Amino acid sequence: MDTDARCFRVALVAGELLNPVDGELDALSVLEQEEWGAIQLPAADYPDEVAGPLLEQVAEQAEEFVRNGYTLTVIRGRAGLDEALARVGIAAPPACAPETADELRAFLSEACR
Amino acid sequence: MPGVAFVAHCLLNQNSKTHGGARCPGIYSPLVEELRTAGWRLEQMPCPELAFTGLHRFWAVKEQLDTAAYRRHCRRIASAVAAAIEVHVRRGDDVILVGIEGSPSMGVHITSSDPDRGGRPEWPDGSSELSPGSGIFMEEIVAELTERGVEAPRAMGISHQLPDHDPDAERSALRDLMGTV
Repeated sequence: MDTDARCFRVALVAGELLNPVDGELDALSVLEQEEWGAIQLPAADYPDEVAGPLLEQVAEQAEEFVRNGYTLTVIRGRAGLDEALARVGIAAPPACAPETADELRAFLSEACR
Repeated sequence: MPGVAFVAHCLLNQNSKTHGGARCPGIYSPLVEELRTAGWRLEQMPCPELAFTGLHRFWAVKEQLDTAAYRRHCRRIASAVAAAIEVHVRRGDDVILVGIEGSPSMGVHITSSDPDRGGRPEWPDGSSELSPGSGIFMEEIVAELTERGVEAPRAMGISHQLPDHDPDAERSALRDLMGTV
């Protein structure tokens, strides 16, 4: 128990930001540097019938963190996320759509206050 | 893109670990770096234990979790993940699975087992529950893929919670799995 290193901060992150291409923002690197955990949202290239059940799982996992007082944020988000969270009784967490690593850092810093 | 790696939830979110099990604040970077450096797309699988037994769960062996209700829960998650795997397989992408060795749910080659464990939680010093085999979720996802006619991907588990954990060997095993050696 004494050695547990968790940060108690979890970001729900657009799949594309965890697998950036062509100079896009690399959210995973920023989250690691700023000491946040990540829950990946299904990428936009999945059809709705695939993304829907994955979003349902995201919401159930997020619910457990919220119930236990962890800080939760959304980075860029995804269509259907707010509805999936609402179905498990979670209001939409603070969200941002950063274009740069600095914007993301500033948002994460603010979320910790 | 060389392929798609479906990874255990806790590789990207150590907050999901059983208390005492988080090795770093959020992202377990050694293997994530290895996958990203090689250009693999990451896909995070849900943690089957998190939503079912919660953040205050005890460390458990497979027999303690192996109920019909937990199997149904794992199969529901496996169905969601298998549908995503199927998308990539049908596209011709190479797919691998990265689980957690020693886990009763996410173990690939090593799970935890002790048929006598139950009741008041007491563990004799030095007792070991590690045993060959797969965890419950891994069994269910292979079953789900088989039902869909999709061959189960190559798989390994990260070993950071095993007593003989060797980071270099772990990276090497991942490179072998990716086929980049």
